[in-house]
Amino acid sequence: MDVKATSDNSIDSESGCDNRLVQIIESEDDSIRNQSLDLVCADADFDRLIADTVALDKFWRGTENLYHRVRALFFLSSIHRFHLPRHFDRRAVGNIPFSSYQHLLGRRFVESIDSLLEAQSESGASDALSSALSQAYHELAFQTLADQVRRSVRTVRGNQWMFRTGHPTDHPIRFRRELIERPEESVAFPILKETTAVRMDFTHSGWSDIFFLGMDYPSGARVINASVNLGVMDRDASPDPPIECYLRVIDRPVLKLVSIDLKTHAEITTIAEVFDFARDYLGLLKAAVIAAGIVPPGMEGCGQDIETLLERMIGPGLGLEIVSKVNDIPKGSRLAVSTNLLGSLISLCMRATGQVSSLEGALEEADRRIIAARAILGEWIGGSGGGWQDSGGVWPGIKLIQGAAASEGDPEYGISRGRLLPKHSVFSKEEISSETRQKLQDSLVLVHGGMAQNVGPILEMVTEKYLLRSPEEWEARQDAISILDEITDALNKGDIKAVGAATHRNFFGPLQKIIPWCTNLFTNSLVEQCQQKYGDKFWGFWMLGGMAGGGMGFIFDPEIKPEAQKWLQSAMSATKKRLETRLPFAMEPVVYNFEINDNGTWGEILDADDARMPNEYYALMIPGWLKLPPRELSALYRTEMELLGSEYRNEGHSQAFQQLVEGILPGRKSTREKTETLNELLRRIGFDRDQHEQVRSDLKSGRYGLAQNRLPVTTSITDVEAEDVIESRDGVDEKHRSVGEQAIRDGKVAVVTLSAGVGSRWTEGAGVVKGLHPFSQFDGKHRSFIEVHLAKSRRVGKKFDRPFPHIITTGYMTHQAIEDHLSDVKNYDYPGEVLLSRGRYIGLRTVPMVRDLQFQWEEMPQQMLDEQQQRMRESLRTALIGWARQAGEGSDYRDNMPMQCLHPVGHWFEVPNMLRNGVLSGLLQRQPELKYLMLHNVDTLGASVDPGLLGLHISSQKCLSFEVISRRLEDRGGGLARVNGSPRLLEGLSMPREEDEFKLSFYNSMTTWIDIDQLLSVFGLDRESLNDLEKVDKAIRVLSQRMPTYITIKDVKKRWGHGQEDVFPVSQFEKLWSDMSGLPEVSCNFFVVPLQRGQQLKQQAQLDSWLRDGTASFVDSLCEWGER
Amino acid sequence: MSILKAVITAGAPKQKSLPLQNLVDQQGIAKTALQLIADEAVNAGVEEICIVICPGEQKNYEKAAGEHASRLTFVEQSNPRGYGDALYRARDFVGSDNFLHLVSDHVYISPADVGYAQQLVNVANRESCAVSSVQSTRENMLPFFGAIGAKRVANRRDLYEVKSVLEKPTPTQAEQELIVAGLRASHYLCLSGVHVLTPTVMELLGEEIENTPSTASIQLSPALETLGRRERYLASEIVGTRYNIGVKYGLLLSQMALALSGKDRDEILTDLLSLVSQSTQSNGQPMLAGVDR
Repeated sequence: MDVKATSDNSIDSESGCDNRLVQIIESEDDSIRNQSLDLVCADADFDRLIADTVALDKFWRGTENLYHRVRALFFLSSIHRFHLPRHFDRRAVGNIPFSSYQHLLGRRFVESIDSLLEAQSESGASDALSSALSQAYHELAFQTLADQVRRSVRTVRGNQWMFRTGHPTDHPIRFRRELIERPEESVAFPILKETTAVRMDFTHSGWSDIFFLGMDYPSGARVINASVNLGVMDRDASPDPPIECYLRVIDRPVLKLVSIDLKTHAEITTIAEVFDFARDYLGLLKAAVIAAGIVPPGMEGCGQDIETLLERMIGPGLGLEIVSKVNDIPKGSRLAVSTNLLGSLISLCMRATGQVSSLEGALEEADRRIIAARAILGEWIGGSGGGWQDSGGVWPGIKLIQGAAASEGDPEYGISRGRLLPKHSVFSKEEISSETRQKLQDSLVLVHGGMAQNVGPILEMVTEKYLLRSPEEWEARQDAISILDEITDALNKGDIKAVGAATHRNFFGPLQKIIPWCTNLFTNSLVEQCQQKYGDKFWGFWMLGGMAGGGMGFIFDPEIKPEAQKWLQSAMSATKKRLETRLPFAMEPVVYNFEINDNGTWGEILDADDARMPNEYYALMIPGWLKLPPRELSALYRTEMELLGSEYRNEGHSQAFQQLVEGILPGRKSTREKTETLNELLRRIGFDRDQHEQVRSDLKSGRYGLAQNRLPVTTSITDVEAEDVIESRDGVDEKHRSVGEQAIRDGKVAVVTLSAGVGSRWTEGAGVVKGLHPFSQFDGKHRSFIEVHLAKSRRVGKKFDRPFPHIITTGYMTHQAIEDHLSDVKNYDYPGEVLLSRGRYIGLRTVPMVRDLQFQWEEMPQQMLDEQQQRMRESLRTALIGWARQAGEGSDYRDNMPMQCLHPVGHWFEVPNMLRNGVLSGLLQRQPELKYLMLHNVDTLGASVDPGLLGLHISSQKCLSFEVISRRLEDRGGGLARVNGSPRLLEGLSMPREEDEFKLSFYNSMTTWIDIDQLLSVFGLDRESLNDLEKVDKAIRVLSQRMPTYITIKDVKKRWGHGQEDVFPVSQFEKLWSDMSGLPEVSCNFFVVPLQRGQQLKQQAQLDSWLRDGTASFVDSLCEWGER
Repeated sequence: MSILKAVITAGAPKQKSLPLQNLVDQQGIAKTALQLIADEAVNAGVEEICIVICPGEQKNYEKAAGEHASRLTFVEQSNPRGYGDALYRARDFVGSDNFLHLVSDHVYISPADVGYAQQLVNVANRESCAVSSVQSTRENMLPFFGAIGAKRVANRRDLYEVKSVLEKPTPTQAEQELIVAGLRASHYLCLSGVHVLTPTVMELLGEEIENTPSTASIQLSPALETLGRRERYLASEIVGTRYNIGVKYGLLLSQMALALSGKDRDEILTDLLSLVSQSTQSNGQPMLAGVDR
């Protein structure tokens, strides 16, 4: 590859193996291999770094070794993301070829990299190209890892046959006779029942249970976990294994799957349905049926029916029923419930088909290992993921799980240093005495804090950091590894206080050093409360699994544990109530009773009179059976109903009967709490039904729609010229700066922070106010976006001795929360006026048009997922199109919590809101000298009242000055363009062709300097007429009609059951602020500002690189924090 | 090593009529399955045959044995406890002699001049040890056979030292324990029901019966596995094919295999083609649409 940017030929011609970074990767010597990329590259100049990328790119393409390849890819990603950008000319712009973006979306990473490198060699290296290269190398690294895990799972002995068996008549396994034989007079077959614990990890040595870490660094991959039974405090009499699964032969040739906790069941008649995961909520059961080899993965696409298969495996006319039941443990418990449920189901199915040695009782070690391997396979098939310790509940007691070096004969030998599957060593009673186990139970309070968060991004960050070996991370990892020894030692000695101290130090030390995001304000607040309340008698905090907030442990002196347990329940509920608008909670916090399970997964046959399913099964199934005509009711179901009837007659009103009646007769318990209905809410907020009906009818008629958002294809769209923008990246003239400084001193400026929407991308659809999310720690405390903005304003105001007003716009979802919070914290002691501008416009979401869904999914570029996830997504989309048709395209979306049915109507309305709700006119009356506003998005953390830019804006005498930044790959959704010859901001939604966006050098940061009087005149208003509401309303309506209306599809979460969530795509409309630049009478500037000033935080996955690339400390430097 | 005795097990109540089924052999002569199995034994040099049967079946078997009836000794297996138990009932007959053992639900066809059992006896004579015949079998047939884990004897293509024996293993077990180097992927060495055994097997079965609860069944596989640890025990891939008449369409397939390897091959082939051409597919279309019949 020829790199134009490289000037030093001697470096350019360096062969792969001479390169110092390649040597680090290849070295067998720990002291060389464990060097940090950041340190090695710290002093490297541009040419050196480019030469490194050339050598590394050549190296990864040539090496067969998984670890070498992946580490080289991460090095490349990191150099492009963190090291090269330092050296780019700040003014230089570069465009990312659209084809490479398309390759990236299509997961053709190598092609994407090739096309980007070609662009780099043609036009030179640039920040934009490096941002895309970084992303492509990063994704390729994870793809390579995932592929290897899959390959290893497939090649584990005992799994291979399942990929070869392609037809029911080829099926090599049979059900055990014990399950098929029944007494002659009986219609019921015996039931095989499996009970399984969940796993609770003491420590995972810095997430070392991630597959890749185990495979690359087997000696550092160590976990201690215990199998535990659970019971909810004050509800369950005693802790029990939380997972129960049942299997029986039935007298109908179908595969019947029942999930009692999800209250759903299905009768499967074709093999294709087994592979259709998103069709219903039975994906996990289906994955288990496949991974257990009953319907092996090789059979996908064979086009056969289940009857043929079951006839061969069980017998003619017979079928199979599998039932799963998890005793009320919600998602996010960090106890690996789903992996252990999968393990339990697989164990059940493998016992039934003789694939493990025993039908009943405990399992042999070899059996547990094959079940763990199958559980990994099942997770891959089902599109989920877990760590290698997760099927720990299948094993008994407390165990050390550690990575194992790959040796000759292992499928991983020569590919990775460690094996895919770890070694499990169960601690004997001599090593950890019964007394110690009891002491642990007497000290540890196990809870679910109620937060359900996605741990995936954290695991990706861990993998990347591990491979880059940043000194802090590496030191923390070694520390975490040594803490495991401390915990083992404390357990050996029976010193639970020392266990608490070690887990506490682990959480506040190495774990947060590696990943600061594993904690949050909720957890920190609980720990503080424990310390305040119990002092020395609180022995420590214990993080479970990948992150804190859901399942967690608190260790107390046994003397106070019973009291502390009760107190903790109320403390968690109160803290949750205080924080629920700021952090994503999925449920009420719960305290569990627990005990260590010494059996591991356990099988038993229930026959004769004991052959009964759990009560909840009948409550779920009988209502359906009752609807069947008697002739269609199978003998088995008839007998079961008779049995239940007899029980009621003989034993009276049992719990089973109670549940059954509740299942048959709908109703609700009376509660005093009254929830507001959607109609009441709409009335309260002042919903404009006429406007809604107009939009809805335009949507149904096809006037509005995703395709109609776009400008005509004949529109000429080109990049702007140098004269269209004002460059400010190297600073602003002193002359303008002093104008700006004077304006601040004279009270001519105020700030408007847009915070009307919840920021659904940030919280992945959870109903949390983004502006209030305590997303990161600054100066030792978790701070929210709004606090950061006020801190910046405080600093500037203090510097010029004139605190300025800070307006925060709110919407129907955010107003109350922001108002309450700011009143709680007394506006963070902000010295100026803090005003809330309450939203006056609101939309009601509609069921999307199928044509819009198809447009979104088929016409617009989409990120392809990996093979199995993509399959899941396609099947889900078919189901969602069915839902839209059934629910009525374009009809009002009402089937959710009222708040989730409404939508904000776009940030264009934020300024009109200030006119309508009197905030601006009030402010102008109090501070008539006010002339300018700086409006910015809540997530543009670097935006501050910069005197230079303000001065520039004032001197130009234009109405609006928009700040733009040079574009990186992640900056999608429009930009600054010449549209038919005139420069303006163009929304991504209106781009006639996707590729047009890639021609544009600048991205809109949304930060806008506004001349208040000029803007009012655009509306046809002035300061006087602001008091005439009727005139204001009319002016807004007139201008509003000139603004484009965009239809968008949003994913909305619907919560149900215990922390279960569904996501539905719904239609909404919006009008956008940047379209103001398209109005001919609005005079505009476009300021090019530094990246750090204009960068927006849209997703939590951005946080880590935001911290690492120095933007976080840049933001911190702009702030002055208040006292509280 | 001289082999003059054979034991045929036919004690399973569900399979008691299988050896009585009529087939036509390669020479076109109608014979019972029992006669065909006894032919195998006799051709291998066996002089006396013991048949383990269900109580009350002796007359039927004597009749079905045809010219071999005079060589037969019958042992009834009352309260049957499985395959291993059936074989053990012949312990008095075997005494301290080595013996040939065949199952009663298989038919063997050898393309060579030497019969299937004869080939095995030759191997046993040469190697002076117990030998079981095995056939490389695809994993989809594992539910029907015992299978072995083994190591190839140096410089021999068809001879293996037996390390483990599992009765009807699942492919999951087979992949973990029974992989034999050099075999095609997804293929395992499955027992084909013909063994030359030493009297040690009877001792081992005796021990197994003693150590097993009276309700549990006794299999031959564990005894064979132990045999491999006690003394030299080999497995040999014999030239030929076994047909299991006890499975669905097993009798039909066995008959076709006999006919297609015998003197009436052309006649049968013609009849078969004619049958195929007249049959219809599930959609009602003739199998050979467009062929002028």
